[in-house]
Amino acid sequence: MSTLHLVRQSAFATNDFAQCLSVLDHQDSIVLMDDGCYNLKHSLMDSLIKRVDGTININVISSHAQARAIETLTEINHIEMSDVVELTFNHKKVITWQ
Amino acid sequence: MKTLAVVVTTSPYSHLTITALTYVEAALVAGINVIGVFFYQDGVMHANEDISIASDEYQAIAHWQRLQQEYQLPLHVCITAAEKRGIACDSIDNEKINQIFTVSGLGELVELTTKASRLVQF
Amino acid sequence: MTSTNQITTPDYPKETGLAIINSKAPFSSNHGKDALDIALIFGSFEQKVSLFFQGDGVYQLIADQDGSLVSIKDYLKTFSAFEFYDIEDIYVCQQSLVNRQLEEVFHIDGVQVQTSSEFSAALNAHQHVLRF
Repeated sequence: MSTLHLVRQSAFATNDFAQCLSVLDHQDSIVLMDDGCYNLKHSLMDSLIKRVDGTININVISSHAQARAIETLTEINHIEMSDVVELTFNHKKVITWQ
Repeated sequence: MKTLAVVVTTSPYSHLTITALTYVEAALVAGINVIGVFFYQDGVMHANEDISIASDEYQAIAHWQRLQQEYQLPLHVCITAAEKRGIACDSIDNEKINQIFTVSGLGELVELTTKASRLVQF
Repeated sequence: MTSTNQITTPDYPKETGLAIINSKAPFSSNHGKDALDIALIFGSFEQKVSLFFQGDGVYQLIADQDGSLVSIKDYLKTFSAFEFYDIEDIYVCQQSLVNRQLEEVFHIDGVQVQTSSEFSAALNAHQHVLRF
């Protein structure tokens, strides 16, 4: 495992998620949190899911998505903050895209 | 040993700070050694004694205080960033600095970064 | 091939130091200056620090800018002091330059223009990452 990416911004508002995807490595993981949850419905997410075909671990914080009434996708893991802590130490480093 | 340092750049009235707090508390509960939280940019607003957030809203500063007391969590506020925002003046005894915070320079961030096995920014 | 002849995969060098990703244009916010202050402190403590410029952050490197015209103290001039702080690794994302129709003309020397995969690999060589 290499990098854990914490994505906190909507790709409809900023370029952060696109920049994250441009440095994404095949062993990395993504956590969508805060307005980053809106990326579940962004075309970048569709193409990411098609491109990586299950090799990238993509997660969303359940309460953050649920609070925003965002429907989730079957390809995405639903996690809690305690899982983010665990992921922090399962990866070599963390980059926050905010 | 799992050691964690956290950088907070969002203000106490930003909802993004709730996520930072939830994360830090989850780490502490999991037994991670959180060696310090460094408040930078608008994060330093947490140290402003005069901040008053409506009582029915999320009390970020009170939550940091709770974590600091329960877990002896070191909270560092960047002096340069604080002065820029009118928080500290010339002395570390300045009344405007909330006493739960340690007044630090960016050198403290260097220290935390070199000691921590993970650095997470919020 | 016997196992003794097999070339073992070399260990990747251990990740060290701090990478700072700059993602904001220079004049409308303090992010670039706040990131610079961190870089200079790490440099003066003789800690390895590398600078990455991506997205609108690439505008921080472009030549012939003049913040004084808009009453901004031009912190970009401090970039020329990087060598005195032993800040040697400065990376810029090529695709971000192309997207903005920018030439590879910078106001400091030693900037390395990198493809996305090179940029990503350089980032991965660091232990910690901050982004502004």
